[in-house]
This record gives sequence, C-alpha cells and structure tokens, in this order.
Amino acid sequence: MPVRQLPENVVNRIAAGEVIERPASAVKELVENAIDAGATRVEVVISGGGRELIRVSDNGSGMNSEDLALCVERHATSKLDSEDLLNISTLGFRGEALPSIGAAARLSIVSRARGSDAAHEVRVEGGEKSTIRPAALSEGTRVEVRDLFYATPARLKFLKSEQAETAAVIDVIRRLALARPDVAFTIAANERVIQYPLRGTDEAGRAARLADVIGGDAHANTVPVDAAREGVRVRGLAGLPTFSKANSLSQYLFVNGRPVRDKVLMGAMRGGYADLLHSGRYPVAALFIELDPREVDVNVHPAKAEVRFRDPSLVRGLVVRALQDALSGGARRSATTGADRLVSFARPQSAPGYSSGWRGSSAPYRGGLAEAAQAAFETIAQPSADARANLAPVLQADLERPLGAARAQLHETYIVAQTVDGLVIVDQHAAHERIVYEKLKRALNENGISTQILLVPAVVELDDSDVAALVARAGELAKLGLVLEPFGQGAVLVRETPALLGETDAQNLVRDLAEHIAEWDDALPLERNLLAIASRISCHGSIRAGRRLKPEEMNALLREMERTENAGQCNHGRPTYVELKLFDIEKLFGRR
Amino acid sequence: MKVTIERAQLAKSLAHVHRVVERRNTIPILANVLLRAGKSSVELKATDLDLEIVETAPGEGKTTGSTTVPAHMIYDIVRKLPEGAQVELQSASDGAQLQVRAGRSKFTLQALPETDFPDLAAGEMTHSFNIASADLKRLIDRTQFAISTEETRYYLNGIYLHAIDDKLRAVATDGHRLAQAEIKAPKGAKGMPGVIVPRKTVAEVQRLIDDAGEEVKVELSATKIRFSLGNAVLTSKLIDGTFPDYGRVIPAGNDKTLVVDKSEFMSAVDRVSTVSSERGRAVKLALTDGKLTLSVINPDSGSATEELEVEYGAEALDIGFNGRYLLDILQQIEGEKARLKLADPGSPTLIEDMEAAGALYVLMPMRV
Ligand SMILES: Nc1ncnc2c1ncn2[C@@H]1O[C@H](COP(=O)(O)OP(=O)(O)OP(=O)(O)O)[C@@H](O)[C@H]1O
Ligand SMILES: [Mg+2]
Repeated sequence: MPVRQLPENVVNRIAAGEVIERPASAVKELVENAIDAGATRVEVVISGGGRELIRVSDNGSGMNSEDLALCVERHATSKLDSEDLLNISTLGFRGEALPSIGAAARLSIVSRARGSDAAHEVRVEGGEKSTIRPAALSEGTRVEVRDLFYATPARLKFLKSEQAETAAVIDVIRRLALARPDVAFTIAANERVIQYPLRGTDEAGRAARLADVIGGDAHANTVPVDAAREGVRVRGLAGLPTFSKANSLSQYLFVNGRPVRDKVLMGAMRGGYADLLHSGRYPVAALFIELDPREVDVNVHPAKAEVRFRDPSLVRGLVVRALQDALSGGARRSATTGADRLVSFARPQSAPGYSSGWRGSSAPYRGGLAEAAQAAFETIAQPSADARANLAPVLQADLERPLGAARAQLHETYIVAQTVDGLVIVDQHAAHERIVYEKLKRALNENGISTQILLVPAVVELDDSDVAALVARAGELAKLGLVLEPFGQGAVLVRETPALLGETDAQNLVRDLAEHIAEWDDALPLERNLLAIASRISCHGSIRAGRRLKPEEMNALLREMERTENAGQCNHGRPTYVELKLFDIEKLFGRR
Repeated sequence: MKVTIERAQLAKSLAHVHRVVERRNTIPILANVLLRAGKSSVELKATDLDLEIVETAPGEGKTTGSTTVPAHMIYDIVRKLPEGAQVELQSASDGAQLQVRAGRSKFTLQALPETDFPDLAAGEMTHSFNIASADLKRLIDRTQFAISTEETRYYLNGIYLHAIDDKLRAVATDGHRLAQAEIKAPKGAKGMPGVIVPRKTVAEVQRLIDDAGEEVKVELSATKIRFSLGNAVLTSKLIDGTFPDYGRVIPAGNDKTLVVDKSEFMSAVDRVSTVSSERGRAVKLALTDGKLTLSVINPDSGSATEELEVEYGAEALDIGFNGRYLLDILQQIEGEKARLKLADPGSPTLIEDMEAAGALYVLMPMRV
C-alpha cells in the first residue's frame, strides 16, 4: 500500500479519540473552556449520560464571529500566545478540544463577545463546519454537543451504563468545582440538579466548597494543610483518618488549579497517611499544589490527567510532610462523626415500662409465678462488666487541658473525662496502643535498625527495570535494614534483612517492594512491615480493655495522649476517643 | 470388633499416635485413629497424609475387626479412666459406633469405616540400616533448633540427612545459622541418597526415641523414610527439594580463636539480654586480649554490660549477634568449653564443641 497523507477528517477523528474518550471528557473540556473564558457561572445540562446531549453555558468573555469561525479549527487557540509550552497558566492550551468534539458529534456553539450586541452560531457535524450565522444569546457562550460518538460507533460500545457515565460527568465537575470556589456551578443530569454556589477563594471559601462537594461532615472532619518549600506550595484540606472512605474517589488533587490523578501525588498522599489508615481505607482530601508552571509539564497526557514534575521528590516530600504535620496535631481532634452519630442515636426512648412509670399507673400484676422467676433471671443475665465508677479528684488545671480531667472509669474499659465545655470518652486500650506505637516508631527512626546478615544471601530474580529501581534506592533501603546489590542480569542479591522481621522471606519482601516502588516510588511496604511488627509488639504491651485504672493512671494516660502525635486514632484507624461538647449533650436532651 | 486392653497400654499408644493427627482437619477421616484388633494385639494407626504412625499394643481380641474413631476424643477418654482399668472396645453391629467400656463408665463414639482410611503407600525402600538410639537422638538434638520455619523455603524445613565419607551427617539451617552433627555411618547407610526429613517427623522421632530400646531401624527411598522405634513405626514423606550446598558457608579460614566457658558465657548472654526488647535482640561482643565484654543497649530501657575472662589472643574485635541465636547454639555444646572462630563483624563465625567431635555450628553476625 502506498504511503499517503490521511484526509483531515480522519486525522481529526483519531485525535478526537485521544482527547474525548467518553462524555465526561467532553464535559471536562467544555467546562475548562468556560473557566478559561473567565466565567463566574457555569451551567451544565446532560441527558442520556451525556450521549444524547451535553450543554454547557457560561457568562465568560464570549467570542466574536471571527473567533467563532476559528475556534473549531485544529490547533486554533487564543491561550498560547508565545511559543512557550512551558509557561501555561490556562487549563487549555492545545486548541484541540473543540475540533475533536466536532469530529465526534454534532456540535453547536453560540457565543456573544463581551461588549458586542450580537451573537453568532457555528455548527460542526462530522467534521464539516457550517457558515457563521447570527443567533440569539444574552451573554457568554453556549456549547451544545448532541449524539456524541455517532460518527465513531466503535467508541459507543465502550461506554458504560448511563448511570456510570452520568456519575463520571458529575465527578469531573466536582473536581473543577473544588479548584474554583469562585465559580458557581449548576449541573442538571436527568432529574437531578446539583448546585455549588459562589464561594470565596480564601480558606473558608475553599472549605465551604469542599463541604458542598463532599457533604456536610467535611467541614468538621478536615484539617487545613498549608506548607511551602523551594517555590512549591501545597494547600488544601485533609480529612481526619477517622473520616476515611472505602475508595479513593474522594481524593482531589490539583496542580496549578488543574485537576489531576497523578501517581507521584497519590503516592505522597498514601505516604502522608501511611500508618494512620489501615489498608482498604482511603483518605478524603483536596490538595492544591502551586508551583512555577515551568517546573511542571502538563502536556504529557491526552486528557491532561497526569503531569510531570521537574523535581518529583521535592513535591512528594513536601506533600507527605505537610499531611503528616497537619494530621499529627496531637490529640487535638478526632472525627466528630462519633459524637454526631451518638446524638442521632440517642433520641428520647419511648420505653413502655417507663412511660407510665413513676406517675403511678398501678396496673395489677397478672403474670404467673414462672414468669416472675424468669424475669428475675433476666436481670441476673445482664452483662456483668464492672460498672462501678472509679472516682478521681479533679484539678482545675486538668479541666483546662484538651482531654480534660479524668472523672471515672466505666466498665473497666472507658475513661470519662470532663473538659471545660464538654466531656470526653476514651477507649483506654486503643489509646494506649497508639501511644506505645508512636513511641516505637520514633525509636525505629532514631536508633536505626539492626540487621541480620544472611548466611546464604538470597538471590531474587526481577525485571531489569525493577532491579534498577531497587538498586537506585539501595541506600534508603539499607537504612531500613534491607541490604541488597545488583546480581548479574535481572536479579538482586539480598545480604542483610531487618532483624526485627526475624526469619523472613526475602523473595517476597523484595518483590513486593519492587512492585510498590514501580507504582509509587517509595519504600513504604518495608517501613510498614517494620511498623506492623512494632505495632504487634505494642498491642502486646498495651493496657487491655478490662483493666481497672487508678485515677492517677487515667490522668497520666490522658496527658500522654495530648503529647502523642496522631493520638486521635488507634493503629487500626479507629477513633481512640470521642468528644461530646455540652452543646451536643444539650441536643441529646432536646434543649437545643 | 471386640477387644480388651489394659488402660495404661492403650493410653500410652494413643498418646503416641494422636499427636500425628492435626487438630484442625477438613477431611473428617483424618481426625480419626484406626483401631485394628487381632487375636492378641491391637494396632493403632494415624496419619496426616505426610506422616503415618502405626503402633502395636498387646490386647485380648474376642472378635477381630477394625474401625476408626476421633483420635483426640478417645485419647482424652482413656486418659481420664481410672488407673489399672481394663478397657473394652466394641464396635456396633453396623460399624457406625464404637463402645468404650471400663468399670462403670461407658462411652459411645461415632465411627467411620476403615475402608476410607488413607494409606501412605510406602513403596519400595532402597536402603536400610540400624542405628543406635543414642546416636540418632544426638543427630536430631544437635540440629533440630536450626530448622527453618519459613514455609516459602520449604527445602529448609527439615533436617538434611546424608552419608558423607564414612559418616552419617545431619544438617539444618534457617539462613541465619547452621548446625551440623555427625556419627560414624552405620552399616547399610553408605550410598544412601541425601534426604530432607520434615520438621514434624523429626519431632515425632524425638518423642518416641526414649521408648525405642537400643536400636532404631531406618529404611528409606528417595521419597519416603521409615523409622521403627520399639512398638511404633513411623513412615514419612520426605521434603522434595534440594538442600543448599551448605559446605560453602562453613568458614575455613577464621583465624581469631576465642575459648570460653560455656555456662559462664550463657548466663552472661542471658543476663545482658534482659534489657533488650522482645525481638532481634543484639548482644555486642567486644574482644580484647583475654577479655570478652558483652553489652546490650536498649535506647528505651537502658543498657547492660558484663565482662568475662576468656582465652583470646588475636587482635581486638567488635561483633554483634542475636542473643537468642547465641543461646540456642551454646545450649548444644556438650563439653564445658566452647570454641568460637571469628573473622570479622560481617562474616560467619564458627562455633565448635571441644568435646563432641563432629558437631559444629555457624552463626551469622548482626549489624548494630
Ligand atoms: N466557552 C468559551 N468562551 C470563550 N472562548 C472559548 C470558549 N470555548 C472555547 N473558546 C475559544 O476557543 C479556542 C479553542 O478552544 P479549545 O478548547 O478547542 O482549545 P484550547 O482551550 O485553546 O486548548 P485545549 O485543546 O487544550 O482545550 C480557545 O482557545 C478559546 O479562545
Ligand atoms: Mg479547551
């Protein structure tokens, strides 16, 4: 077959496949265009999961008739004025989105340039552009995409259910909405309308938008993150570990305002939460990375979902540190969900035995003897935990501390403490376990790790790239007690393993590590392995539930919790205490 | 089947065979012991499919026959029967139950037919020899502690038994330390294949050996081994793997020799280890002319040091070992003194028993 230049509409269709994968990608491109046009209000309507119709209206700058004619041409953009691909501050920069959509769907754009008194329309169908016609529109731009992928039926087959596509569209808008609290969004999908009202760009505004997007609890269950190093800044909100989710959908990551799903950042996120969450739980967080656009390449992925940092380890380190700092605010906060849930459970009970109660309805006792005897046994059969409270003297100074003064131990498991404006219930076992664990972790970091040298060094066969990655990190691994070196083609030789791991399977350990490094670029599994053992030992030395504590011991435990980082959760991610504010208690009794 | 057997006899035999039965079993019949009554004896058999034990006890068979019942339960019952009792075992006519009667106690156990009971087909044994019980015990005792428990390295989960020159040698290693013991090869052992005897089998042989009399008969092929120990016959599969070429890790050129009183050394290691935390406890040894200083530093709780007078004339050396490993090895030393041959803090140390020839230990240091 002779080599020939592909006709333009075929080229466009190929490009379209890369940029527009599914309805959500079209929505993303259109909303980004609206944001780039300076809109403060964006309205999205979809039907049929976006396959039948996508309509995006904005109140941005609009386009005049010449621009309108040009904007659907390939590589036509107003955003890249110099030829400097490294200095990009808008979301769009390729001039690729509209032509791609035009190649795959029936596209109509109506726009009115700001200050102009006329609006115009252009249509593209199957890559064929119409003439520019006058149209009616009060301001901004309205883009309509109908019958997406009608021209590429193969693509249609890969779409998921209408529901799934709708969810993906909403997810895309959520991410953009998080990035831009100063833009109001309305999404109408089928019968549903979601609205994100205009918010400020300050921390309060961001938090309010996060609450809009994630749900009501978000505000009370997140801590602000803010850190900068060498020109890179990370800001945002990090969910408390007790507020985690079972999937990673609530992780929102942005680089210079652009939503991304970047491996470096996701790895850093895991690092920051490393031993606060057990596997299977994912943090809720919205993190905004800002850095000189020259330090990051956003043009590495057709849908711009991934970026490439010039100095990934700087960014990773910063994010991990920032999260750790934000989350380790000592015992300051645990998720409030506990208290909220309690309040919602504790609706006034309408126990029939009591409702008539002492007011003295003296209904004659009708039950037989056997029944009475049965009832007597039932009371005996109540849980036998020791409910005698252990009373402690109260010091004013303790009352003013975050976790307050211990007042009682109940069921030999829970410490009840009084604070200035509420009360705290501590799970003594979970709390103590956490304290011991943090101590061990510190010791591990400070004292280094002793290693057992192997009598027979273990040869582990791996891919060449894995070998290279492991060897590149040999120094770091050695600090964690794993000493290895390259061993011919496609293998490493393990010479020493952390003594703490005892007799360990070097093969598996190294393979796991290699896999993890390939994906996340850090040595977390090893560290986690070590800490898991430290944690098992700590479980051992922990105060078990069911141990009677003296008042002094209780207060000592509370003070220690206040001093310990991450004291709000036990090693398994469960809360170690719940706080009930007087306000909550008043709610319990219906006084509020 | 109907048979009468003395309680003590039955209890002892059940004690031997019930250990082979795993506590948790997915195949019901494997939880059972097979009882087979002859005219003047009862045969008891249990298996976990890798290891099989058959023990014969004297008994008075009224009706010969066989059945199988839950091993742990019948053992518990027989143990609790009064001393000196005569126990009568009788299976119901349909074979679905077994009655255990002694004095006024009567138990009925659910039984399963013998036909379902698995047989560890032993196949042809190619080598056979008799070994003094004391010798076999020594081979096991000296090396058992070093068997690996890491299941991914299954080929280290046993003792490597092989004939070398005119010796029969046992070796075990877990990759951190190695133990080797040998005796003069018994007649018939020469030319036998090197075999890896699984940990569980080793432990059972060790338990049965005291009741075994003077000699144990060993038969083996490339896949199975059988030990006849008194009334008990233990047949086991061998670990199908290649034991590493252990000779390479036994150092030959270690030139720094330390001779130390075994029990003094052990108590000192034990004492200083008190301050170390649970796992991977490292004991540091500092060697200078005629003096050994042991120390443990635990940043969390404190430190400990102890000095010993020793025979040491080489240049000063600091080296760290896992305290538990050191103790494990010192425990094996039969004589009063242990000889350690050292090279440097990163290379294997050889530990020898100055009295028991043929036993040697290799220990890899720790880096602290
Ligand atoms: N909603 C809008 N309001 C005003 N101008 C718009 C709007 N949408 C598109 N444009 C104009 O059309 C041009 C082409 O848009 P298109 O999305 O195809 O490319 P881009 O945004 O420049 O780059 P990219 O392909 O990376 O998105 C833009 O550069 C912009 O000038
Ligand atoms: Mg665009």
